[in-house]
Amino acid sequence: MSIQLGLYFASLSLLTFGGLSPLIPEVQRYIVDTKGWLTPMDFMQLFAVAQAAPGPNVLIASLIGYRVAGFTGSLIALAALCLPAAALTWVVSGLWERLRNSPWRPLIQRALLPPLVGLIFAGGYVIATPHVGGLTLQAIEHQAFETVAQVAEIVQGRAPKGAVNPQHATRLAKMSSRSEA
Amino acid sequence: MSGTLAEPAAAPPRTRWELFVGFLSIGARSFGGVLPPAYDIMVEKRRWLTPADFTETIALCQLLPGPNIGNASIVLGKRWFGLGGAIVAFLGLFALPYVWVLALALLYTHWAAHPLVSAVVTGVGASGAGLFMATAVKLGQPIARKPVAVALMAGCVLAVAIGRVSPLIVMPAAVIVGMFFSWRRML
Repeated sequence: MSIQLGLYFASLSLLTFGGLSPLIPEVQRYIVDTKGWLTPMDFMQLFAVAQAAPGPNVLIASLIGYRVAGFTGSLIALAALCLPAAALTWVVSGLWERLRNSPWRPLIQRALLPPLVGLIFAGGYVIATPHVGGLTLQAIEHQAFETVAQVAEIVQGRAPKGAVNPQHATRLAKMSSRSEA
Repeated sequence: MSGTLAEPAAAPPRTRWELFVGFLSIGARSFGGVLPPAYDIMVEKRRWLTPADFTETIALCQLLPGPNIGNASIVLGKRWFGLGGAIVAFLGLFALPYVWVLALALLYTHWAAHPLVSAVVTGVGASGAGLFMATAVKLGQPIARKPVAVALMAGCVLAVAIGRVSPLIVMPAAVIVGMFFSWRRML
């Protein structure tokens, strides 16, 4: 599973412009819908944790890796997501250093500053306006109804569909006896 | 404002260990965003880079795939110490956030419903937004008195924050416009 996970994240690496956030719907489709490694609720929760945690937002890959395949999975997922992009950066920065004495360089430097300052302001604004990155209305609706269905099953003393380790859900039986009492 | 004065001198880190510790502390303080502590530590505290160097590096990294500051750790590590430097800087940046995000995930599954937890999460988001704004103000000082630059900057803010246009479109377009004005000596 770690290997599949690694190959998947490696294939996303060169698409992570601006971090992983724009690709979250795609990751959710693969991990939750295609592979069934996580429930939609689990995925939402990991997304929330990654938003709150410090560090680059690509760290959500290590959370997914951890849930799917333990510590090895977390390291493989993060490395796979970062390495191809890092290799590209390595090559491009080499080319860029070679431009050091070009007459274009001061021109480019002056041109870069206003858009970059604008982007950082916009970044602050985007953080300040609560939003769930990349989740469509249908996805939210789907998840809301799935939650309702899961709660209903738990109340009736059954493990919900897709639950992890249902055989260990020893307290579920008490739920149903309580609700019948 | 000191925007037109000569920039303060900057000196690269002397050892890989210094590079590692610097990026470790960027990671340690990256609640709510990595860019503000990256600026604070590399430009203001340790003076590895001039503000112009910092801007240029971040802008380059923004145009490439991968996490911005993660890419910056590769670019700068390579510039100063080659492959070893790139690896050391990258590992330093990710070490602490990696541990924290896993720890937080373990805690969060148990405490997600606690009001204190959601309050902390909201608070971190809010402070992150403030830190971003403060960094933008600091970086923007050299352009504050140039009307064309301010207009270009404002256009980017509107496009990304309100229009939610991808920075991948806004950034190259704005840089091309910027190149034109910079060539006409208006920036």
